Amino acid sequence: MISAPDVVAFTKEDEYEEEPYNEPALPEEYSVPLFPFASQGANPWSKLSGAKFSRDFILISEFSEQVGPQPLLTIPNDTKVFGTFDLNYFSLRIMSVDYQASFVGHPPGSAYPKLNFVEDSKVVLGDSKEGAFAYVHHLTLYDLEARGFVRPFCMAYISADQHKIMQQFQELSAEFSKASECLKTGNRKAFAGELEKKLRDLDYTRTVLHTETEIQKKANDKGFYSSQAIEKANELASVEKSIIEHQDLLKQIRSYPYRKLKGSDLSAGAAEGSSQDQAGQASTTSDPDEPVDTEVYASRPDYTPKLIKAKSTKCFDKKLKTLEELCDTEYFTQTLAQLSHIEHMFRGDLCYLLTSQIDRVLLQQQHITNFLFEDFVEVADRVVEKEGSAPLEPSQDRPPSRSLEECLIPKVLISVGSYKSSVESVLIKMEQELGNEYKEVEVTEVSNFDPQENLDYLDMDMKGSISSGESIEVLGTEKSTSVLPKSDSQASLTVPLSPQVVRSKAVSHRTISEDSIEVLSTCPSEALIPEDFKASYPSAINEEEAYPDDSEGAIHFEASTRPPALGEAEEGSLENAPSHTDSSCCIGKETDSLLVPLPTSALKLSDDNSVVSIPPQRYRQKDPGFHVDFTVENVHPASRDNSSESFPPYELDPSCLPASRDVSKTSLDNYSDSTSYVSSVASTSSHRTPSSAHPTGFSSERHKKRAGQNALKFIRQYPFAHPAIYSLLSGRTLVVLGEDETIVRKLVTALSIFVPNYGRYAKPVKHWVSSPLHITDFQKWKLIGLQRVASPASAGTLQALSRYSRYTSILDLDNKTLRCPLYRGTLVPRLADHRTQIKRGSTYYMHVQSMLTQLCSKAFLYTFCHHLHLPAQDRETQELVASRQMSFLKLNLGLVNEDVKVVQYLAELLKLQYIQESPGIGHPVLRFDYVPSFLYKI
Amino acid sequence: MSALCPPPSPAVAKTEIALNGESPLLAATFAYWDNILGPRVRHIWAPKTEQGLLSDGEITFLANHTLNGEILRNAESGAIDVKFFVLSEKGVIIVSLIFDGNWNGDRSTYGLSIILPQTELSFYLPLHRVCVDRLTHIIRKGRIWMHKERQENVQKIVLEGTERMEDQGQSIIPMLTGEVIPVMELLSSMKSHCVSAEIDIADTVLNDDDIGDSCHEGFLLNAISSHLQTCGCSVVVGSSAEKVNKIVRTLCLFLTPAERKCSRLCDAESSFKYESGLFVQGLLKDSTGSFVLPFRQVMYAPYPTTHIDVDVNAVKQMPPCHEHIYNQRRYMRSELTAFWRATSEEDMAQDTIIYTDESFTPDLNIFQDVLHRDTLVRAFLDQVFHLKPGLSLRSTFLAQFLLVLHRKALTLIKYIEDDTQKGKKPFKSLRNLKIDLDLTAEGDLNIIMALAEKIKPGLHSFIFGRPFYTSVQERDVLMTF
Repeated sequence: MISAPDVVAFTKEDEYEEEPYNEPALPEEYSVPLFPFASQGANPWSKLSGAKFSRDFILISEFSEQVGPQPLLTIPNDTKVFGTFDLNYFSLRIMSVDYQASFVGHPPGSAYPKLNFVEDSKVVLGDSKEGAFAYVHHLTLYDLEARGFVRPFCMAYISADQHKIMQQFQELSAEFSKASECLKTGNRKAFAGELEKKLRDLDYTRTVLHTETEIQKKANDKGFYSSQAIEKANELASVEKSIIEHQDLLKQIRSYPYRKLKGSDLSAGAAEGSSQDQAGQASTTSDPDEPVDTEVYASRPDYTPKLIKAKSTKCFDKKLKTLEELCDTEYFTQTLAQLSHIEHMFRGDLCYLLTSQIDRVLLQQQHITNFLFEDFVEVADRVVEKEGSAPLEPSQDRPPSRSLEECLIPKVLISVGSYKSSVESVLIKMEQELGNEYKEVEVTEVSNFDPQENLDYLDMDMKGSISSGESIEVLGTEKSTSVLPKSDSQASLTVPLSPQVVRSKAVSHRTISEDSIEVLSTCPSEALIPEDFKASYPSAINEEEAYPDDSEGAIHFEASTRPPALGEAEEGSLENAPSHTDSSCCIGKETDSLLVPLPTSALKLSDDNSVVSIPPQRYRQKDPGFHVDFTVENVHPASRDNSSESFPPYELDPSCLPASRDVSKTSLDNYSDSTSYVSSVASTSSHRTPSSAHPTGFSSERHKKRAGQNALKFIRQYPFAHPAIYSLLSGRTLVVLGEDETIVRKLVTALSIFVPNYGRYAKPVKHWVSSPLHITDFQKWKLIGLQRVASPASAGTLQALSRYSRYTSILDLDNKTLRCPLYRGTLVPRLADHRTQIKRGSTYYMHVQSMLTQLCSKAFLYTFCHHLHLPAQDRETQELVASRQMSFLKLNLGLVNEDVKVVQYLAELLKLQYIQESPGIGHPVLRFDYVPSFLYKI
Repeated sequence: MSALCPPPSPAVAKTEIALNGESPLLAATFAYWDNILGPRVRHIWAPKTEQGLLSDGEITFLANHTLNGEILRNAESGAIDVKFFVLSEKGVIIVSLIFDGNWNGDRSTYGLSIILPQTELSFYLPLHRVCVDRLTHIIRKGRIWMHKERQENVQKIVLEGTERMEDQGQSIIPMLTGEVIPVMELLSSMKSHCVSAEIDIADTVLNDDDIGDSCHEGFLLNAISSHLQTCGCSVVVGSSAEKVNKIVRTLCLFLTPAERKCSRLCDAESSFKYESGLFVQGLLKDSTGSFVLPFRQVMYAPYPTTHIDVDVNAVKQMPPCHEHIYNQRRYMRSELTAFWRATSEEDMAQDTIIYTDESFTPDLNIFQDVLHRDTLVRAFLDQVFHLKPGLSLRSTFLAQFLLVLHRKALTLIKYIEDDTQKGKKPFKSLRNLKIDLDLTAEGDLNIIMALAEKIKPGLHSFIFGRPFYTSVQERDVLMTF
């Protein structure tokens, strides 16, 4: 393979170990370091520490005609940033480059001064001894009083990392060009204004001189001119020449060629920029060099002309204009803003910059899946940053619209009809109207329910003696809002619905009960529990029965797609119209007509195996007194949750929570959902009104860091973190119950990183609820922070929770318990290993992000695998298809046990997101898993 | 512009180079700082074209321009600094390597520059590192050459009593010519055969109906896995240009757009030579079915290389980054030392020195079998063919795969950064890292480490300490953690 002659010659091996350093030795300056990355304590991060400045900054310098190169200002304007770095010396270095040598002034053979619209130059250079490298953007501004009318300036981005500057050259160049254009536009405007003033001065001077000359002429009756008169005449001629020159200059600056403007996309110079663009666009059809700056340089009528002295001041007597004066304050301010933006944009380690750029490109290619876990606002922000202050392309930052051309996926694969729900669930569409058409079904309880009793019951439940065992999965309800009467005037529709009745009906389908399973935590391994927790960790795990296999323990329901006409069902006719399903019904109305059984074999499975059929005794005892009122009305979002909570279509994802419990609850960091919670906290966050389009807009590095840190704490402190995370990943709503709002919010924020999104907007996370939960809450939120209030008056909260407790997972922070289905997969342990040595929250966040991306990839494959969801032959039964799917999940994707459900759930979301008509508006799926729940305790 | 530029001095020599294809390079220049006259151009290299885009006067002006301000030069000893100009007013970009050297008894500042039209900016930027690395090394050698010339001539002057100072230093030009021409040829070949930033998956193996349709399943797995383990740097050789290019494009799918633009397809008509520093390059075997891979150039590539022979489905790889860099640096130092010790001009002749010096006895066994198996690529290949070809599904799946790799790489960097307090402490917990980041398979770790090395250079050397370990030794060390 290697047959090069230069290789064949190398046959000796013994001398390679030690380099011969016979005299004369090679001077080190002519050699190369043997360990470029490891000598003298060097490491991949140390190159940044060699410089005298602490971080990258921007320097603006000028080549002053009076004092030579001089630094003008830095961004950020903080001496700590550039430290002891010699700005004067570096200015001298970067400005000493004769970068253009373009002629400005009187060209040979030209009568008048000629303005040359020189283009900017860009130079990358460095000072390897100082460890400073710079991208230098040279530009020229016009000043009537300057030599040759030009003032050379430069803006330099100074960094200790040379590779950063070269690798980001095009981005830096583009961003600095915007800043330069802003400066130059302002300068042209100011220069034109200056010329106009000068012309008026000259005109005035000419008039004065002319008058004086005329007076002298009249006074002169001797027939010859006095020396004074000749002097005046010369002066007049000089002024007239000057007027012509300045008029020419004004004409030149006003005729700034369109081609120069064409390349500049400047939003900072808002008004002018746009007018120029418009004018420019108009001129493209005619003459591209047509003057476009006429309006910009409109004359100022309020100027009072003054007399100009014949002799101008000497060069060193005059005070040169500042940059701000040269460029018009408005433009100067905008330029500074743009430069600050640049400084912020390129701040930090190159590896993060590069990766974020690569991420952005790759994410753009996977618009089908990235709504699940990606922070879309962040992606959009990055693009905005990338675009800088330039006007954005209309569709650039929007989530990619879905079209068949864009992603040519066979229709047959994504049709609802052909897509068999893979999670043994009933898919009942629950088209909740969002946005302006938002409506919700309010479910209230008729309170012949003893709150205290319920509290006791709940407490007992939490103590770990009860576990529900039903195995029913329902995905949403059909037209939950549209099927119900929508009239505002309609009175509350009360449907007494006894859970007992429902229960008995449900029981008729269930033959095997797993109720009353008592499991005190089934953490992956007791040995893995940190020492701190071992004392309280149960010494024995009591499990009545083996947990059923994946194929067991579930009653299967066929999807029953209801036509919209069902919505016309009359109020109170629920019993007569079993298909009249609202969001509440899906819990209890498990009538025969509603529950369309799967083919026989599936039923057999459930019949033969461990599907729970008998509800827990305690529930049954509660049932007689348990009434549920379905109040259907067009409730305004703001009218619920103690009349203080509004429900926007999508809720905020709070970004910053205090890391410590000790931090004041009214801390700014701990702002609440500004749209959903009114308290002392709310007032502090009112200024953070979210945009409806991007409610998660506050996601920042800080947020990620804190969320990651708290998530890390959670998985280390709670041995039952795995099933909790599994609940979130598999779409089972997790309620975090606690008294202390700060703690609850903190944990909800932490856990929210595991919650898949419905759509391209906010995560389905409710950080804090103090009012009783309703069925629609489970439709909207997959992670809820719920306030526990000890007072009997607030028992409704717990009461409501108890009602839904078997369909949700409940993490009780006060009692340190978790009630949720068992998890035995391998996915979550890799995602959340309590022994992990990851130290920082931000690192853990990144780890979670990469693992979730892997998970998305699996879900994508499963969703769009072309042979998986369709019968291979016409006669192939659903069971065979299901079996093939399961086999694929296990064998090809390597999923075990409950991991399958995670991927199935994500696939479901992908499919729903894909097939919905309008991109970006997710239709929440109401999903209840009647799988056995277990109680975990620390 | 020519009107503004003075004509060049008659002392400026010019070499015209005949190239086969289009040359994006306008000229290359060698200039120096004369203590009396300021910047002076010594030599110009220009492609032989019917109508020169730049006159000699313009080239001289620009070359002088590169040394402007260098009177303030403040560099570390032996530094070769890179300056990069985009002069819109002139419509050119200039890359200058500025260095100090001894010539004619004086220490002075020199600049070796290449000039391209500004329209080639996006073409050139991905190749910047390749050009700079190659020119840097030739400058290192040239500097020694200049130094020795002076010493030799001083001796001759003493012996012969004649004045020959004016001829001194001229001999660096042939040496520079020896690298400037290949750089021109490289840029010319890249102009016609570089891989585009956007690759149609239909032109790759990933468009096959099933794995193994185009090439053997195991071969494809090995090729991609090793390609990723060697930082995306691969040489694909074979007898069929079509087959080679299909694999080149397939491997390029796993690179960033900029890296793809630094990759080259093979040419069915004229066989290209191996070029050090490209990411992926396709090369054709000669009519006898043999192929020459120049050891020195392979060693001087910035990353280790995977060698893929599509004729025999063989995949070999070089040792990991830290070993490669260590071997490379030893080789470079040996080469420079040999130059320094050479006693005659014949000894110093280009490319002969390495044959005569006995100290050049590197380990020839630089290409080894792919030993570390991974799960990442294996799973990807197992899964991607389940998606229907001809749609964008596979592209999306590939993008997800690459996103996972990049995110894992960044997480790994951050993990090490946290653990070592940004390099202040040694890294000792590789085992924990592998478990925590789900990189327990050795091949997976290699892939992610290789990716991390590209965005955080020096990571391998930092983690594995002083890189004396061979691959086997390294594995032993890893086992002990």
